[in-house]
Amino acid sequence: MTELADMQQSVARDPRDRGGPRQPLLSVRGLVKHFPVGKNLFGRSRNVVRAVDDVDFELLKGETLGIVGESGCGKSTTARLLMNLIEPDAGEIIFDGEVVGHDISLRDYRRQVQMVFQDSYASLNPRLTIEDSIAFAPRVHGVSRREAVGRAHDLLARVGLEPHRFAGRYPHELSGGQRQRVNIARALALEPRLVILDEAVSALDKSVEAQVLNLLLDLKDAFGLTYIFISHDLNVVRFISDRVMVMYLGKVAEIGDAESVFAQPQHPYSAALLASMPAMDPDARTEQAPLYGDPPNPIDPPPGCRFHTRCRFADPVCSQTVPSLTPAGETQQVACLMRQYGSGHSCIGLEGRA
Amino acid sequence: MTGTAAPIIDIRDLTVTFIGGRKPVHAVNGVTLAIQPAEVLALLGESGSGKSVTLRSLLGLHPPGRTSIGGSIQVAGKDVMALSGRALADFRGKTVSMIFQEPLLALDPVYTVGAQIAETIQRHEAVSRVKARARALALLQKVRIPSPERRLDAFPHEMSGGMRQRAMIALALACNPQILLADEPTTALDATVQIQILLLLRELQRELGLTVILVTHDIGVAVEVADRVAVMYAGRIVETGPVREIIRNPRHPYTQGLLASRAHGAMTGSRLDAIPGSPPDLADLPPGCSFAPRCKHAKATCVETAPEIRSVTADHWMRCMLDAEAAE
Repeated sequence: MTELADMQQSVARDPRDRGGPRQPLLSVRGLVKHFPVGKNLFGRSRNVVRAVDDVDFELLKGETLGIVGESGCGKSTTARLLMNLIEPDAGEIIFDGEVVGHDISLRDYRRQVQMVFQDSYASLNPRLTIEDSIAFAPRVHGVSRREAVGRAHDLLARVGLEPHRFAGRYPHELSGGQRQRVNIARALALEPRLVILDEAVSALDKSVEAQVLNLLLDLKDAFGLTYIFISHDLNVVRFISDRVMVMYLGKVAEIGDAESVFAQPQHPYSAALLASMPAMDPDARTEQAPLYGDPPNPIDPPPGCRFHTRCRFADPVCSQTVPSLTPAGETQQVACLMRQYGSGHSCIGLEGRA
Repeated sequence: MTGTAAPIIDIRDLTVTFIGGRKPVHAVNGVTLAIQPAEVLALLGESGSGKSVTLRSLLGLHPPGRTSIGGSIQVAGKDVMALSGRALADFRGKTVSMIFQEPLLALDPVYTVGAQIAETIQRHEAVSRVKARARALALLQKVRIPSPERRLDAFPHEMSGGMRQRAMIALALACNPQILLADEPTTALDATVQIQILLLLRELQRELGLTVILVTHDIGVAVEVADRVAVMYAGRIVETGPVREIIRNPRHPYTQGLLASRAHGAMTGSRLDAIPGSPPDLADLPPGCSFAPRCKHAKATCVETAPEIRSVTADHWMRCMLDAEAAE
């Protein structure tokens, strides 16, 4: 914990810091996003995809929060909502104590929050040189061309690409790993405080992935950054995250300290997800799949606890009551009726389950 | 796994070069591989290592006009490169079958799953439609698709990702092939579904005595299903051995680097031991060892001459001039 305190101390020296080290950098309250699908004759839609459904969490200054979950769990929609790339249906985002859109303008907020996407090629303009791509945002925000280009060269050097070799090249002239370094440099061009990495290393080869992960760690130290790291690769999330949030069908299933979530998952879904990781030991191969079937469709998700259709501890009460996040263990919070006293679940208080 | 029985797949000095672009691309550069009946081999490598190209050569899937292929491939006693027309069509699906990464692209979107499986059976065997349909149903049961009667008449887009991959495995097994080739079969799937498909492949392999070649970039997947692993880099197999040997006693610097750079088990916040640089351009390969520019043990000779195969133990060999252990 002292390490985290040190980290927060260094972040606190940032002149843009308003609330001090204990104020979360980001508080998300009741975030909701539903996408209508299949319109009828009158333009009314019959169904909605409940992509993100009442999500609350806090992001501390200087930490890395990993978000894991399977396709359709809402992790990428959450990222896009945080960036305000899509508008939430409900809920508020509080950035360093200021409500986004009220106390702090979207323009000022966006300057401090940047994102890196999975597809390194699609996220760069093919007709701009690397230098111009990185200098673009500072130019838009009123930095002179000379200064913006100078900053682009500095950043290229920081991400391990020699400016005199790479500045004038176009995206198609770079490898995937090099392009992702450019995207990271571009995200840093406005000196953000929060960087959202949405599957940012997933498309890279394993040997290159390790290089980019190391780079992310170095940059975090150098610039006092806070990360949200979204990935389907649990090994990578465990490696890079201080805290982890597990999502299932648009809801938070569990959130807590990365080491404790990985060592002692409290939600049956987190436990099953972790047990699904290939074993890496030829003498201890997985003998039984932890879950059967695919995640249900987020259109019309199951009532009550969304995991009850696949959960082996499911009780009748699980299909009726929606669990809320309750503290479990020292650092974890879990949305499971087995952990909620008075919920009526028959397994309450039983310790030592898988 | 020692070579006592006759191998069912015998690849000798396979080279595959794609021509027709500005420069010829040397995708496979001398792969020699013998696989015993009922063995499960994982071809492990990064993108551009030649693992999928090697796999596709076994079915003669490369367009002849734009590919030049050298070496020899014997599969179940047949010379694959000499097959063409009707003989090649009979060979595909009947002797060797394949499953792909993206079942939605591999299955025909306008036919039901049942119709596709029945058609495959009727193409290879003289059976009635009714019988073919009954066998399709049995196959869907075999791959454990829930309510198979209903799924027989489902279109691929009506199924979930995991179910589609099960349907594709059923399709691949329709004509009781001896050999199953799997090209990244679980890469597009979610974690909880991936493990189900891997376990299914393992069970079917045991039950049917299949010979399997699995192409993957994920060491974890290889460990779950394979008996033996062949690590590929720049179109060559750089190391091969039983899966335990490769995981616990890797000898080639590339294999060592791959295992060391994984985030699995690494301390949070510590730096990963990454391999520097990136894989070579296949249109412009270095003359010596392809890994030499990224290898921390590389010497002058590595850059000049390509290393020969050296055996570590009877069934574990690698392609490196240095004894990796001495260099450590």
